[in-house]
Amino acid sequence: MFDMEVTASVGGFEVQTTNERGHTPEELAANAVAKIINIADSADPVLRQQAEAFRERMFYVIVHALNQAVKSDRTTLYNEFKKQGHADVAETLRKL
Amino acid sequence: MAISQALCTSFKQEILQGIHNFTSGSGGGTTTSTGSGNTFKIALFTSSASLGAGTTAYADSNQASGTGYSAGGNTLTNVTPTTSSTTALTDFADTTWSSSTITARGALIYNSSTTAGSANRAVAVLDFGSDKTTSAGDFTITFPTADASSAIIRIA
Repeated sequence: MFDMEVTASVGGFEVQTTNERGHTPEELAANAVAKIINIADSADPVLRQQAEAFRERMFYVIVHALNQAVKSDRTTLYNEFKKQGHADVAETLRKL
Repeated sequence: MAISQALCTSFKQEILQGIHNFTSGSGGGTTTSTGSGNTFKIALFTSSASLGAGTTAYADSNQASGTGYSAGGNTLTNVTPTTSSTTALTDFADTTWSSSTITARGALIYNSSTTAGSANRAVAVLDFGSDKTTSAGDFTITFPTADASSAIIRIA
């Protein structure tokens, strides 16, 4: 007799919620880094150390990029609100 | 009433029938041979819902509601299935209900394309373990790393 077992499964996931705010660049960067690099428990200690150092560096690069994106988007929104005659809202955004 | 995490049994059968297509580029796919993937969605449910391996299709009953949430849930962005060693896997981009006020206990991933004459076929039930709530915030589901041991949907 010959048989074959196929296992189909659903993986782990995370639910992240915030109250009266959005996710911070740090929270989003942590998600991104976790997706990009997964270090196996069985990894060689030297490789693990290198991978962890790379992951940490990547975290800060992504945080920086996200902060830049937020600032840039606020500039766009600031100008859009000003053009629409909402100078007060534009000013509030600028001060964030 | 309960929500139990599972890959739906009907979905396992439908894989063998070639009914689902997870190829990236959703929006088309009224058949599985068009080359573009089906449209997959994720809907949130309250603790009053009964969802599990026996769920065969999306239904409105006991779906979450609130600011920033529309019935039927969010459309997912498919990631074309791949393999890692002897495991086949697929993934979705993380999804967020922004500026939302929602309470949910679980979710259903389903295929909203009409395939083999039927739409909204169930794929997987996600159990959050407890009620998750937002108040004028972001409700985000983060899918795991797309590898052989973690991906959201794996066939080994």
